[in-house]
Amino acid sequence: MSSRTAFRLTRILAMLPWVIANPGATIEEVRDRFGYKDTEDLARDLDVVFVCGLPGYGPGDLMVAYIDDDEVVVDAADYFGRAPRLSPTEALSMLAAGMAVLSAGLGSPALESAVDKLAATVAPDSDGLAVDVAAEPDLVGPLREAAASHRVVEMTYTSLSRGETTRRAVEPWVVFASLGNWYVTGYCRLAQAERVFRVDRIRDLSVSDDTFDPPAERPEPEVRYTPSEEDVRCRIALAPAARWVLDYYPVDVVSDDGEEVVIEFSASDPSVAARLLLRLGDRARLLDGDEVRSALGDLGKRILARYR
Amino acid sequence: MVSMRRVIERLLNLLAFLLTTRRPVTADEIRNQVAGYGGSSDEAFHRMFERDKDLLRRIGIPIELTDGNGWGLEQGYLIDPDAYRLPDPGLTDEERAALALATRVVRLGGGPAAPEGLLKLGGYGPGEGSEPLGADLGPAADRLGDLFSAVTRRRKVTFQYRGKERVVAPYGLAHRRGHWYLVGGVGDEVRVFRVDRMESLVVDPEEGTFTRPEGFSLRTAVDAHPWEAGSEEPITARVRFEPDMAWWAARTLHVEHESGPLEVDLPVSNVDAFIGWVLSFDDSAVVVSPPELRDQIVERVEAAIA
Repeated sequence: MSSRTAFRLTRILAMLPWVIANPGATIEEVRDRFGYKDTEDLARDLDVVFVCGLPGYGPGDLMVAYIDDDEVVVDAADYFGRAPRLSPTEALSMLAAGMAVLSAGLGSPALESAVDKLAATVAPDSDGLAVDVAAEPDLVGPLREAAASHRVVEMTYTSLSRGETTRRAVEPWVVFASLGNWYVTGYCRLAQAERVFRVDRIRDLSVSDDTFDPPAERPEPEVRYTPSEEDVRCRIALAPAARWVLDYYPVDVVSDDGEEVVIEFSASDPSVAARLLLRLGDRARLLDGDEVRSALGDLGKRILARYR
Repeated sequence: MVSMRRVIERLLNLLAFLLTTRRPVTADEIRNQVAGYGGSSDEAFHRMFERDKDLLRRIGIPIELTDGNGWGLEQGYLIDPDAYRLPDPGLTDEERAALALATRVVRLGGGPAAPEGLLKLGGYGPGEGSEPLGADLGPAADRLGDLFSAVTRRRKVTFQYRGKERVVAPYGLAHRRGHWYLVGGVGDEVRVFRVDRMESLVVDPEEGTFTRPEGFSLRTAVDAHPWEAGSEEPITARVRFEPDMAWWAARTLHVEHESGPLEVDLPVSNVDAFIGWVLSFDDSAVVVSPPELRDQIVERVEAAIA
């Protein structure tokens, strides 16, 4: 059954007890609190409640729920006098979200006590849950402030793909964490294009007095691979022990016989694929891609030289 | 196709009935008395009833199937009104708003955390418009819910992990560096498992089957780098980082470093993860000792460039 049905039922079971406990509640209060789009949206749910109740289903057996002028009225529904308990997934997602925000240093005393109270009712005797969004929020504060006040930052940045260190002026748009790392998206004045930077690769940062005009539409806070014409492509065969690559990189699957899976891998720089292949060792084979083969050979030889 | 409205009506009638009977009722009683089930064939009724029970359980409603002992029944369904009710954490409006804001900015399972929990706690509360944190806690929300319930109810779990079956007493669930980990007891040892690598997860229905070791701390257990969070016999690796990347290694490892190269000893209990990390420095990091680990890196690189 659809999750829309589950959502709608949950909302009714949560809304009824609140209205019962708050007689005289206005349409507007109920709408805002429970996220109803408009009065009609709320009236639809009240109409459903109105025709339900206990066997017999006569006037005395049905619940009473209607809109009277500006008020929402619910009666004869005492068995729905309290909201249902939280499912484990609901409890976990609220606790995890609260803890994630606290771990990022962006919480408030109210959030801290909310998390404590919720944890106490869900898992009374344990510290069974710990959530950190990312390890290093050091530069996150100054970057967020710079983004909020539209100030250009100067940074020394070591790129992930090439390992090059450069000095750049960047207009920071959005600062976010994803899968364990913090990122800043913005306009890079050195590259003269939109770029995503990993915050832990920023060696030092200063916020300048120079301001910028933010874009009309800010990019989504996510790390996204955007294919480009200049990308380097290669074809790689993965052994079963290297299948995790499918979950971590945006690749195209060329063939999959259940054992070996062949992928088409593309990246802005051949060293990205080369580094992955090094890491996989004998669990992957490069089938096709001269630029990557040569980058892999170079990188491999440089590393081996350190061990001889 | 039955409309959503009809389904909701049937579910509300079923819930009202089960919450007020005060005794287990049979499927037949439900079929004959609850509005919405009548007039269907045996097969259609059973299909409908199964789906309804599934949905109610999924949203957290505890429907029990009892053997009907003492009621003269074979099997009966029951909802204990006390078990149904939300234990009220007594949040203030301000606390609920703070929690609502957190669930709006943190993504769990690819999207924002589901709002149903907040509705049950009394609604979102007013207050919109804040900077998105955009923190993504990764996929697998349903499995996390099952594991979390196993942690809080002290139920053992069984799963396949790297080709082996494990039976684990789940002590805690932690999110670190983009991944969820289950920390649990295997025999006398505390082990750490990546949740996304578990397969065929089964939760033991019996509750309270273990206790956590004295002084156990979830934070200590998972406050580890990936190469520390393994289940291998720990070894000590000495690594040298060249000046161009030493600052980054020092930052990652939380060690002091002014300038020049950096040499550190690191505890390794997941060699594979460790080699991957060292190689990510290209030729700016080299394992100094032990020799076996150096050999493994050479082997890995040679295999890759062959």
